Amino acid sequence: MKKLVALLLTVLITISCIGFAAAEGDITLDVIICQYGNNTNNWFTGTGINGKSFVQLFEEANPGIKLNLEVVSWNDVYTVVSTRISNGNAPDILNIDTFADYATEGLLLPVKDYCPETLYNDFFPSFIAQSEIDGTVWAVPDLASARAMYYNTDIFKEVGIEVPTTWAELEDACQSIKDFYNGDVYPWGMDMTTDEGQAAFSYYAWNNNGGFVDADGNWALNSDANVEAVKFAVGLYQKGFTNPSPATQTRYDLQDMFGAGKMAMVVTTNQLPTYLTEKGYSVNFGTAALPHNDGAASGATGVMDRVMAFKDDAYADQAGRNAAIGKFLEFFYSPEMYTGWVSMEGFLPAVSSAVSYLVEADPSFKAWLDVLDSCQFYPTAKAEWIDVKQGVIDVEQNALLGGDVKTLLDELQAKVAK
Amino acid sequence: MNTILVRRKWEPYLWLLPSILLMTVFVIFPILIVFKLSFSEISKAGIVGNFIGLGNFRAAVTDKTFGTVMANTLYWVVSVVGLSTVFGFMVAMVMNTRFHGRKIARSIIIFPWATSLVIQASIWNYIINFEYGNLNNILLNLGVIKDAINWRASYQIEFLWECGVGIFVTVPFVTFCVLAGLQSIDDAYYEAATVDGAGFLQKFTKVTFPLVRPSLTVSTVLNIIYVFNSFPIIYTITKGAPANKTDTMVTYLYMLAFYDQRKGPATALSVIGFLILCVVAGLYMMISMRKDEQ
Repeated sequence: MKKLVALLLTVLITISCIGFAAAEGDITLDVIICQYGNNTNNWFTGTGINGKSFVQLFEEANPGIKLNLEVVSWNDVYTVVSTRISNGNAPDILNIDTFADYATEGLLLPVKDYCPETLYNDFFPSFIAQSEIDGTVWAVPDLASARAMYYNTDIFKEVGIEVPTTWAELEDACQSIKDFYNGDVYPWGMDMTTDEGQAAFSYYAWNNNGGFVDADGNWALNSDANVEAVKFAVGLYQKGFTNPSPATQTRYDLQDMFGAGKMAMVVTTNQLPTYLTEKGYSVNFGTAALPHNDGAASGATGVMDRVMAFKDDAYADQAGRNAAIGKFLEFFYSPEMYTGWVSMEGFLPAVSSAVSYLVEADPSFKAWLDVLDSCQFYPTAKAEWIDVKQGVIDVEQNALLGGDVKTLLDELQAKVAK
Repeated sequence: MNTILVRRKWEPYLWLLPSILLMTVFVIFPILIVFKLSFSEISKAGIVGNFIGLGNFRAAVTDKTFGTVMANTLYWVVSVVGLSTVFGFMVAMVMNTRFHGRKIARSIIIFPWATSLVIQASIWNYIINFEYGNLNNILLNLGVIKDAINWRASYQIEFLWECGVGIFVTVPFVTFCVLAGLQSIDDAYYEAATVDGAGFLQKFTKVTFPLVRPSLTVSTVLNIIYVFNSFPIIYTITKGAPANKTDTMVTYLYMLAFYDQRKGPATALSVIGFLILCVVAGLYMMISMRKDEQ
């Protein structure tokens, strides 16, 4: 009798391990989406869209395609994806910021293989160009964010100063604020952490006619303009104008300080208003362009993420799979879905059809779109971008500790330009 | 009769089989795979390529941050293991005496060991926070200081805090290992020593310490391994920043593997760490066993 029970249990366990097979002819797509905010998971897999999830609505509209969708935090997504690729279990659709490594190693499908023509023409051409290597486009943009300088209007009124537009004015403003509050309020926020230190580099380099690459698109990290820019930024820290630990205080810590009225100016994404409201902060702020160096053009930083599809050579019905991926994109970028998604997370759209919807809902949105037009983006299409991204963060952190900026940038340039 | 004998011979192995299978799948296989990966070329995207001999090891060891990371690891292990052993021993001696509320004290002491490291590190992060931290709050309210102190003024001080948290969470483990040893010492030894006219220090060095040594060996070896491999405390408090100055080997190889996407050198570092631990633990045990025999 005992033996019979044991045998039965073993059979049951084995059956449960096999799992349920999808109905005959169903295509299942593994999708990884990055967690942009607190609502992402609920919107995609919970009850965020009028009591239903994105996955449910998609599967209802597209019988025959099943979605195995996972929302992963930005902290973990690189780990998750590279582990899956190492195990030969890459997802079918991936939403992430980098793509060059996957493309150069032949892991991705060209966008033309799966993206429907009408949708492809809807993307902003400047965004699509960011995902192009040697004439082939490997990924489509999912959304964008632009950075601006937010300043506390009450603090500026109390101290009696104007919003700075140049670096010289910025230093004066910081000095006035520091003197007025005796160190209780940090004049300028600086995030040089491993979280997003590369953004800090761009805020100063792109406002000094510098940047990651030169006019020909080759790495030019140790240009004089860049050295001057990093020296200026580190100088702000050394003069006591910034938060105490730029190397470990992330953009979110800075946003909290700004919300609590402990920081006068901070450069961050256009999501800040949503962040402040969600956290219950009440601070009066204004937005302005980042200060630029005298004689240099003003440069706005744009950050763009992507959606890409991985190859799966073992799959029998390639045409069917490509069509399914195309259906996913069409559904995701359809006006009702996409505008809901973009405005919920407080981002900027990547397709022109969404623009009129969003401007209608919120006219102040138009100002952001103008900023987006003049934005510069990271050179993510270059194969060495990951090394450069970590490299400039390293340079900044070493410079904060007193290292020589020119030497550090020379070393980094030598490392990536070989 | 024969079947019973056969069963008795094979039965113990059958009972051990599930544990052996679990260990093989979840411990031995991954170790062997990491060894294999450390000798292979791994691309940025994670694709495992050809055998490249000691290439990964060379890349890991010649990196300019390797020296800093190894030095940090040495300070970390020596200070946390050393000081937690000393404090743990003292606490154990106190716990071994009879006093009112001893049972409650023993339960409270186990908390730092039982609570998740990430939670404790996060709480300590808040405690030493400059603007809102409890430490500044308490000291200001008690009048001990006039202005809030920046407890994270430099990365060296941050590293000291991390060591402090490490000691705090390791003391309970040492306490209980040593307490077990202390309680197994027969009172007769102490009585004989008192009769012979031994003072406290002599009783300690001639009776207590030699008899507790086996427990101390166990706790020290295990501690060296746990502390060397400890990730949460450093990762939560500083993440190894700035510029890898507070990284130990484990946090550094995590950054290498998953932020820099350089899995080859990262696996090589894992193997180096494994070998270091084998050598250190083995040497320590050999020296201690030899002393025990004496």
